[in-house]
Amino acid sequence: MPSASSRYLPLGAGVLLIAAILVFPSLAPNPYVLSSGVIVLNWAVLATSWNFVGGFTGYISLGHGALAGLGGYATGLLITKADLPSFVALVAAALLVAALAVPIGFAALRVRGASFVIVSIALVLILLLVFQSWSSVTGGSRGLVVPRPFPGMLRPEHHRVFFFLYGGLLLLALATWWLLDRSRFGMGLKAIREDEDKAESLGTPTFAYKLTVFVVSAAFTALAGGLYALWFGDLDPVFQFSVLTGSYIVLMALLGGVRNLFGPVLGAIVVGLALEYFKVEFGSTPLHLVTTGLLLGLVVMFMPDGVIPSLAALVQRLRNREQSSIREVTAADLAEQRRREREAANS
Amino acid sequence: MPSGALLVQSIILGLLLGGLYALLAAGLTLYFGIMRVVMIAHSAFLILAAYLAWWTNSRLGVDPLLSMVVTVPLFFGAGVLLQRGLLSRLRPATLTMMSVLITFAIALIIEGLLGYAFSGTQRRIQLGYGTAGFELFGARVAVVKLIAFALAAVSLAGLYVLMKRTQFGWALRATIQHRDAARLVGIDTERTAGFGFGLGLATAAVGGTALSLDTTIYPSLHWHWIGPLMAIIVVGGLGSVPGAAAAALLLGLAQSLLQIPMGATWAQTVFYVALFATLAVRPQGFFGGRLAQRF
Repeated sequence: MPSASSRYLPLGAGVLLIAAILVFPSLAPNPYVLSSGVIVLNWAVLATSWNFVGGFTGYISLGHGALAGLGGYATGLLITKADLPSFVALVAAALLVAALAVPIGFAALRVRGASFVIVSIALVLILLLVFQSWSSVTGGSRGLVVPRPFPGMLRPEHHRVFFFLYGGLLLLALATWWLLDRSRFGMGLKAIREDEDKAESLGTPTFAYKLTVFVVSAAFTALAGGLYALWFGDLDPVFQFSVLTGSYIVLMALLGGVRNLFGPVLGAIVVGLALEYFKVEFGSTPLHLVTTGLLLGLVVMFMPDGVIPSLAALVQRLRNREQSSIREVTAADLAEQRRREREAANS
Repeated sequence: MPSGALLVQSIILGLLLGGLYALLAAGLTLYFGIMRVVMIAHSAFLILAAYLAWWTNSRLGVDPLLSMVVTVPLFFGAGVLLQRGLLSRLRPATLTMMSVLITFAIALIIEGLLGYAFSGTQRRIQLGYGTAGFELFGARVAVVKLIAFALAAVSLAGLYVLMKRTQFGWALRATIQHRDAARLVGIDTERTAGFGFGLGLATAAVGGTALSLDTTIYPSLHWHWIGPLMAIIVVGGLGSVPGAAAAALLLGLAQSLLQIPMGATWAQTVFYVALFATLAVRPQGFFGGRLAQRF
C-alpha cells in the first residue's frame, strides 16, 4: 500500500509542472530563453518516451535519437513531397514510425537484452548512412528544409506556440505513462524488468508486451521529432541520426530515475540546461563528449536508480522513520542483499 | 559484368579485410563470453591504438608496427583494470544493460580526448612501403594490406593456441562455460575473467596498428567499426569465436564484392541487413553455440 505522501506527491508535481509550463513563456525575458525552454521540453518528451521502454521493461535503447530523427524527416518529407498540411503530416509521420517500429522491434526483442542494444545502435548508424547517401529524396548532407506551419508568424510568437505544443505533448506522454504504470499491462512489463523468465513462466506474453510498448514509445518519440522539424525548420542527418542524441536521452532518464513518472523530466531539465549552458560557454569542442561520457559513467556506477530515489532514500534516512513491513526493493537487490548477508555470516 | 581482374581484386581485398574483422570480433566475443558484456568501446580502443601508431611514426619516426611493443601490454592492463575496476562492480541483475552504458561512456571519453589531443583532422601514416604492391592473378595487392592481414592471422592463431593448449586457456574457457563449476575445481575465476578482458583489448591494440597502416583515421571513425563488428558477432552467434571468424570473412567478402555495383557507402549496409535478417530468422546466430540461445 503506497503511503499518502507517495500518492499525493506525483499529483503535486504534476500540478507544479502544468503551472510551470503555463507561466514560463510570459516570464521568459527574451526569445532566446524561450527557445531554450522549447529545447528542454523537447528533451523532456524524448526522455519520457524513452522511459516507456527503459523504465518499464529495463531494456535500454541507445537508438531513440534515430527514431526522433525519423519522425522529423518523415514529417518534413510528407509536407514537401506529399503536400500534406503540417500537423496532418506530423501525425501521419508518427504512425509511420510506429509501423516501422514493429519489424525493428520484432528483430530486436525476440531475444534478451544484448541484441536489443546492438540493434538500437545499428539503427542509428544505418539511418545516418541512408539519409546521408540517398540525397535525391532526403537532401543528403545538405539537409532538408521543412516549411513553417504558421507562415508570417513572428519568431517569439512561434517559440511560444511551440512551447505550448511541446508542453501538451509532454503532459500526454506523462499521462499515458501514468496510466500504463497502474495497468495490468504495466504490471506485466515491470515483471519483465524484474525477471523475464519468471514473468514468462507465469503466463505473461513477454514478447507481445515488449513489442507493444516499444511501438508506443517509438510513436511518442516520433511526435517529438516531428514537432522539432516543424519548429526548427531545418534537418541535418548528422544531428538527426547522432548516437549522442540517444545517449543524452539515456543520461537524462537515468539521472532523473527511470522508475519515477517525473524522473526523466527532471533529468531532461538538468541535462538539457547544462547542454545549453555548455553550448554558450564553450561552443562545440570535443570536450563535451568527455563530459557526457564521464557523467554517464558516474551515474551508471554510483546512481543507477537516479537522483529521485537517491534523494528519497536520503530524506528517509534523515527523518529516521520506522520501516514499513513491506519491502519496496527489487528482486535483484534483495538477492544481492541476502548474498552479502550470507557471505558476512560465513566469513 | 565486372572484369575478371576486378573480381579477383575484390575477393582478395575482401578476405584481407575479413581477417582484420575476425581478429576484432574475436575480442568482442571474448568479452561477451566472459561476462555477457557488449563492449561498445572496443572499436574506440581500436582507433586509439591506430592514433598511437600514427603518433609513434610521425613524432618518433619509427615504424608504426613497433608501437605494438607498448600498446599491446598497455591495452592488456587497461582491459584488466576495466573489468576489475568497473564492470565487476555493477549489479549482476542489470549487468548486460549497464555494462553497455559504461563501455559506451568510455567510447565517448576516448573519442573526445582523441579529438582534443589530435584535433578532428584526418591523419594518415606515410610509409616507405605504403605504395608497394604486387600482382596476383591480374589483381594488385598492396603490401600494407597483406601485413595487416598477417598481423591479424598471427594474433588469431596465437589466441587459438593460448585458448586450446595452455592452462590459462583452459581456465578461461572453463570460466566462460560455467563460472560456478570452474570455481569449484579451483580456478580463480575473477582473475581469469580480468585477464580475459585484457586479452580482448590486446586484440584491439593489434587491430588498430594494422588498421593505421593503410587507413585514414579520425576520432569518430570508431562508429564505422562498431556497427559492422556487432553485426558480425550477432550473425556468428554471440559468444562463438569460430562463428565470429566465419561471419567476419563472409561479410568482409560480401562488403568488398558489393562495392563493385553499389559503391563504398551503400556496401556498408550489408552488415546491417545481415544483422536484422539474422535476428529475425535465427536470433541465436548462424554458427552459434549454446550461449547464444538466450541473448
